[in-house]
Amino acid sequence: MTDSMQFYISTLVIYLFIDIIGVLGLNLQFGVAGIINFAYIVFVAVGAYTAAVLSLGPDYPGNFQHYAFGASWPFPLPILAGGAVAGALSLLVGVISLRRLRSDYQAMVMLVLSLIATLVATNATGLVNGPAGLATIPQPLYDWLNLDPLTYQWVYAGWCGFLTLVIFLFVRGITNSPLGRSLRAMRDNDRAASAIGKNVTAMRLMIFVVGGVIAGISGAVFVEFIQAWSPGSWLYPETFVFLAAILVGGAANNWGVMLGTLLVPVGFLEATRFLPQIFYNGFIEAMQWVAVGLLILIFLWFRPVGLIPERPGRFRARAETPSAPGE
Amino acid sequence: MAESDSILTVKEVHRDFGGVKAVDGATFSAQRAHITGLIGPNGAGKSTLMGIIAGAIKPVSGTVTFEGQDVTGLAPHKIARRGIIRTFQLSAEFSKLTVLENLLVAAPNQKGESLLGAELGKAYWGKAETELVRTARGVLARFAMTPKENELAGNLSGGQKRLLEIMRALMAKPKMLLLDEPFAGVNPTLAREIEQYLLDLRDEGLSMIMVEHELAVVERLCDPVVVMAQGKVISEGSMQDVGSRQEVLDAYLVG
Repeated sequence: MTDSMQFYISTLVIYLFIDIIGVLGLNLQFGVAGIINFAYIVFVAVGAYTAAVLSLGPDYPGNFQHYAFGASWPFPLPILAGGAVAGALSLLVGVISLRRLRSDYQAMVMLVLSLIATLVATNATGLVNGPAGLATIPQPLYDWLNLDPLTYQWVYAGWCGFLTLVIFLFVRGITNSPLGRSLRAMRDNDRAASAIGKNVTAMRLMIFVVGGVIAGISGAVFVEFIQAWSPGSWLYPETFVFLAAILVGGAANNWGVMLGTLLVPVGFLEATRFLPQIFYNGFIEAMQWVAVGLLILIFLWFRPVGLIPERPGRFRARAETPSAPGE
Repeated sequence: MAESDSILTVKEVHRDFGGVKAVDGATFSAQRAHITGLIGPNGAGKSTLMGIIAGAIKPVSGTVTFEGQDVTGLAPHKIARRGIIRTFQLSAEFSKLTVLENLLVAAPNQKGESLLGAELGKAYWGKAETELVRTARGVLARFAMTPKENELAGNLSGGQKRLLEIMRALMAKPKMLLLDEPFAGVNPTLAREIEQYLLDLRDEGLSMIMVEHELAVVERLCDPVVVMAQGKVISEGSMQDVGSRQEVLDAYLVG
């Protein structure tokens, strides 16, 4: 295989792993707990910015880009910080919007939050360098490992794979447990859940923060790979790409949403790059959002359960021990 | 009837919705190990009062006392943890959970229900879960729903959903059930079966308050009966008693 082909494939593998992490987090919030978080990409972005400024080093006069909170923390601290800051923001947003509002209004708040966040990042130029965004973000351990760029790519893909496995096991720990069952019950009918003693507000907040931390981690790992991050990288439609992956793959099924990630953000959007340019340059890219929207509509209409539907818990008949509860 | 042994007391409860006095100074008590019937014409405030007892609706004034403790205005899940479990006027099953899961989810204080507990894995919560499955299967067997164990709750018939709600409520270790029209949309045969289940539960010491429109059912199950009209309790007593009182007849004819 040629080097450029290897670069391309390793990049796709890295994208796949990072998108899977992000989608698993959103699936906890949306598929399992029923929270319609149209601002999910904001928490990804916050994790990315946090990791970026904490890797770039302190800002200085005459720097070509300006940002706040600059530091050079060693790997993997910027990633952990990305998760922590996104989690803290989730807690703040959750306390404001999830406690009292009805779910349809929550969804509106999230969408508005997504738009406001883009405006803030664009216009508060001293925070994360405004519309130009941040660049030259160092890749973790690049100098220390001292590998050729291609080998480094594959090492990074391995690191992302490892992280994906850790996140997957963590998420499965929730979805396979009595906690996951209570979250699904809350999603199906929150009034009935509180009537049998579940503190639905606390559960909703908890899973919103957990999803936010996972979003932040995915953003942090992503930005340390692509080395640049700007408001254009995380416009609100990006959340809908994640949602499309969940709806196509099968909401509330971890394997389903991973398949959905392979098909939508990686497969579907990547395949369109190879289409011949028609009408004008950039037309195909512009049509991607339309295609994602259509994909969501088609699945909601013809197969709302997705390709691999949610699997409810099954329990052994005789031995009376739980066996393979739902993902 | 042991008048002194009241488990729940509602006193001077008021609640209005934008000028409409839904509950206007309602006062009554429910007796331990009795099914207290709550009847009255449409718009009398029965469901609102049930919502107030269950914590879903906050009263403007008045008190709800349960087992000697003031529970007025507590959040619904706190009321439930005190032992008051409600069922809903419209079916409120967890539709994408199986029948068995619907029961399991209602059990209080599950080890694997916290984030840490869940992550500790089956080694930590598996044993308690097995115990819970056994209990839930016992409840299923009692209500002749064992064959439906793995059915998604959303696929049950209207009557079976009603039954599911009662079974689920029992899993939550209730001291009192609030039943809001438990027979609505249930075929007569199943309704009779549910009636018998409720009488058995009462005989085992469970207290209930039941909103019901079918007076024949109320007569078979409920003692005492509380009659509401226009947000007020207008009569209390046995069904024979209240059925002959003029104010009750007036309320029904006017309402």
